[in-house]
Amino acid sequence: MATTAATRAAGGAAKAVKPIFSRDVDEAKRRARELYRAWYREVPNTVCIYQLDITTQQGREKLREMFNKNKHVTDPRVVDMLVIKGKMELQETINVWKQKTHIMRYFHESETPRPTDFLSKFYTGHDP
Amino acid sequence: MAASLVRLVRGGVCRSLNLHRTAALAPARLEATTAETRPTVRPKDAVAHQQLSAFGEYVAEILPKYVQQVQVTCYNELEVMIHPEGIVPVLTFLRDHTNAQFRNMIDLTAVDIPSRQNRFEIVYNLLSLRFNSRIRVKTYTDELTPVDSSVSVHHAANWYEREVWDMYGVFFANHPDLRRILTDYGFEGHPFRKDFPLSGYVEVRYDDELKRVVAEPVELTQEFRKYDLNSPWESFPAHRESKDAPKLEAGDKPPVTK
Amino acid sequence: AAYSVMLRLPAVSRALVGVSQSKSCLAPSSSVRLSIRASSNLVEVFVDGKPVMVEPGTTVLQACEKVGAQIPRFCYHDRLSVAGNCRMCLVEIERAPKPVAACAMPVMKGWNILTNSEKTRKAREGVMEFLLSNHPLDCPICDQGGECDLQDQSLMFGADRSRFTEGKRAVEDKNIGPLIKTIMTRCIQCTRCVRFASEIAGVEDLGTTGRGNDMQIGTYVEKMFMSELSGNVIDICPVGALTSKPYAFTSRPWETRKTESVDVLDAMGSNIVVSTRGGEVMRILPRLNEDVNEEWISDKTRFAYDGLKRQRLTQPMVKSASGDLVTTSWEDALTRVAGVLQGAHGSDVAAIAGGLADAEALMALKDLLNKLNSDTLCTEEVFPMTGAGTDLRSNYLLNSRITGIEECDLLLLIGTNPRYEAPLFNARIRKSWLHNELQVALVGHQVDLSYSYNHLGDSTQVLQDIAAGTHPYCQVLAMAKRPVVVVGSATLQRSDGAAIMKAVSTIAQNARTSSGVEDGWKVLNVLHRVASQVAALDLGYKPGVEAIRNNCPKVVFLLGADAGCITRQDLPKETFIIYQGHHGDVGAPMADVILPGAAYTEKKATYVNTEGRAQQTRVAVSPPGLAREDWKIIRAISELAGVSLPYDSTDEVRHRLAEVAPNLVRYDDVEEANYFRQANELSQTVNQALLADPLIPPQLSVKDFYMTDSISRASQTMAKCVKAVTEGAQAVEEPAIC
Repeated sequence: MATTAATRAAGGAAKAVKPIFSRDVDEAKRRARELYRAWYREVPNTVCIYQLDITTQQGREKLREMFNKNKHVTDPRVVDMLVIKGKMELQETINVWKQKTHIMRYFHESETPRPTDFLSKFYTGHDP
Repeated sequence: MAASLVRLVRGGVCRSLNLHRTAALAPARLEATTAETRPTVRPKDAVAHQQLSAFGEYVAEILPKYVQQVQVTCYNELEVMIHPEGIVPVLTFLRDHTNAQFRNMIDLTAVDIPSRQNRFEIVYNLLSLRFNSRIRVKTYTDELTPVDSSVSVHHAANWYEREVWDMYGVFFANHPDLRRILTDYGFEGHPFRKDFPLSGYVEVRYDDELKRVVAEPVELTQEFRKYDLNSPWESFPAHRESKDAPKLEAGDKPPVTK
Repeated sequence: AAYSVMLRLPAVSRALVGVSQSKSCLAPSSSVRLSIRASSNLVEVFVDGKPVMVEPGTTVLQACEKVGAQIPRFCYHDRLSVAGNCRMCLVEIERAPKPVAACAMPVMKGWNILTNSEKTRKAREGVMEFLLSNHPLDCPICDQGGECDLQDQSLMFGADRSRFTEGKRAVEDKNIGPLIKTIMTRCIQCTRCVRFASEIAGVEDLGTTGRGNDMQIGTYVEKMFMSELSGNVIDICPVGALTSKPYAFTSRPWETRKTESVDVLDAMGSNIVVSTRGGEVMRILPRLNEDVNEEWISDKTRFAYDGLKRQRLTQPMVKSASGDLVTTSWEDALTRVAGVLQGAHGSDVAAIAGGLADAEALMALKDLLNKLNSDTLCTEEVFPMTGAGTDLRSNYLLNSRITGIEECDLLLLIGTNPRYEAPLFNARIRKSWLHNELQVALVGHQVDLSYSYNHLGDSTQVLQDIAAGTHPYCQVLAMAKRPVVVVGSATLQRSDGAAIMKAVSTIAQNARTSSGVEDGWKVLNVLHRVASQVAALDLGYKPGVEAIRNNCPKVVFLLGADAGCITRQDLPKETFIIYQGHHGDVGAPMADVILPGAAYTEKKATYVNTEGRAQQTRVAVSPPGLAREDWKIIRAISELAGVSLPYDSTDEVRHRLAEVAPNLVRYDDVEEANYFRQANELSQTVNQALLADPLIPPQLSVKDFYMTDSISRASQTMAKCVKAVTEGAQAVEEPAIC
């Protein structure tokens, strides 16, 4: 009896995946744009409140870079998931739950780029 | 049901490394038809087993739409496997039904089994103070499918669901305040996923020049210590006891039928 | 003669029992005959009710093994004769009054062997109880812990409690040398070590004294267990009675990481497992390879690893104005090297490859020098170039392969001492001598080969006589069905090497003709002593440094050349010497620039053994300090010198290797070489006279065996071995450990 219920449920699940929020790509894109706008407006406040040593311009460039990193994503569910996480970060930033170090982590200031050509790899000892 | 009962009974006998029995079940042991005398082997408790499986069947009959399988483990724990759609109705039923009254959510957690199609198993442990009984409800999901939040049924689920979201990345729909609870702000990844590296992705240190804590990709200076534990005892595999744990694959087992 | 008969007894008894493992290695014709006869009268037995057809004479244990039922054992070992004294393998036979020892009892028709019945289990439990009654409970401080047969099997088959309240026996420990630590109280008298010593190693050093509770394994008088294979008793000892002295109390088997690799300290290419912990080599163990080393390795392979941690070159060095070598950075050292190379072109640049160089580094070095228009690439080992020289591969390989020794019926060794040049090759000869009635003859200095052989003399005249057919031994040679001739590479290093090669080639060709053996059978063999030689010759290196001595190049590149065949005095004063290698050994002090390379446990590299079998080492630990993989150093130099080599990864180098010599990347495969007749014809053109000097291989006794290359020369364990064999085991101080 429950077998039929299970197959029914499974059949229903196979036809259309359960959306997180967005029903299609356009809706997901809209959500992403909204998030981008919210972040964009928040950057000057962030720079001010956290007393960051960067300009608003630099902050917005980084923001653009971070969004561009995921521009290949087309699955609305994945976009939604990224938006959810982005919102979470934004909330943490707006409420100043984060500290300066968390914000500056986006900028990878202390990291030295890994060598790419054979000789510099040889000198640093990384396996080419 | 009969087949699964047989399997479970056998499982209980084979398992020889069980915990010692508490005194609470001593009368039940006496009632067991085949008295187990070996001190290290857990005795069967047929009465409790019978009661639990009867209740399991009852639940399955009432909620045929959601319940996919019911089983009683060798430790006499009732488990109800349900479809993810049915979380709120099943938990509400278990909370409010006169014969159930599982009003306390003791624990909510997840298990990551990457080989499965639905890799996450969400586990709800409930307690009925009225009947001094426990039940375990299990469902499943993957990385992208949202699960209905059970905060509307049990307020205790709030932080548990935040924890599962933080550690496994399972999204709970309609949760009032779903945000991280254990990891650091800006932390990326979900540490309890099996594909999350044990060492993590970043390490932090205080940078004297920047005058703040910085995070950098982790570089291990010391070799990861991995113990090779299985080789010596493999020399006589034929003499080992087989370890067939009860299968808990959700959704593909024939359910309790009459 | 008497002792040889005594040694052959186990073989005879084995044949009677019918354990015919060695028979399957016999000639195809005879094995065909065997299988026909065998198929007609297989006997059917049952293992736990499962029927299985086995040859008559198969032991119960082997029959069970055939259906996958394993029987616990201590004294039984596949490669040793059956002793049947531990009784652990007792099994119940249905309707038999008593359990029988499975390792020694041949099966009878229709037997039902019960490997896990109540009676069998009870028998095992009883035997285990007796074994443990005298075994100390010191597992926490025992080095065998975690890989101990007694531990595993008592867990599996023993009782879970003890009834033993009496006192345990104690046995005095023996000092049998600097390699093997004995804690004889732990001994369970399985006599595996005694059988190994007398059957495989061929030394009658170990034995038993006393009986019953007083039985002891030992050397009877205090002396060293003097064998080049002695370390293997550590592996075969089922308990912690014989353990490794250098490894004592250093690590546990479960915390070490195992890397499958290949040994390079001789030309055999023994398969090994390198156990490492925390970036340090803890020990080296053999890895099973029936075609090369079976499951044994020589003591140098096993114990020279501590040389990998001492006297290492860890930083680049350059010679300062005052003539001292000072450490510097890679940038500085490589820029200097590149500058010198840019200034010198053509025949001004020369390279010498040493005995431990891998094929990848050899390839990179050859490409670098070719790009600089130089082709002066030499190996340290000399090989006669007149006649066919190294143009025909068959001229410098061990063509018969190591397993071929088990199929031949006559072996002629010329100017070699395989016991110390290639101990495992010698173990094969001994195995064949013991089980297959192999006849061995030796031309060259009389040495102890651990088996009896026909010594034909050590003068070159003998060679000439055999080649001419006038020597009495030629009649024996003519009778041989499957002859094999092995010439030591050291003999070919002599100035009359070409004449020796000519004589050997003629002997081999004559033996082939007279035996009428099929075409695939190889007679002529060269036994090399260093791991790099075959790969270097395959890649087109010229053997011998004569060309460099005559040419006076401006730049000499030493790739791990530590044999000292070229010295500062051989070269003009202004010659710039670059040394690349892993040890500050013979080659390093005379260099102007030292580039630290990686040893064989620190790189993924290709080595070709004396048979022409390509095998690879793997990275077990990272190179110490600033040392880098060898081919990468050469690749970096090439870039700075403006002649970049076209590969950036190991795979790309191997691709290049495959272009030059495809056989070098066909791992674990032996590329056959042929054209023996042509090689012989070409060698006839040589008109060089044989010298009168006797044929004396460089390693005569066991003390010459331990230190032959830069790694083993840096090893303290090997130094202790030399001291122990010259001054006695007591001379090596015992560390104060229990």
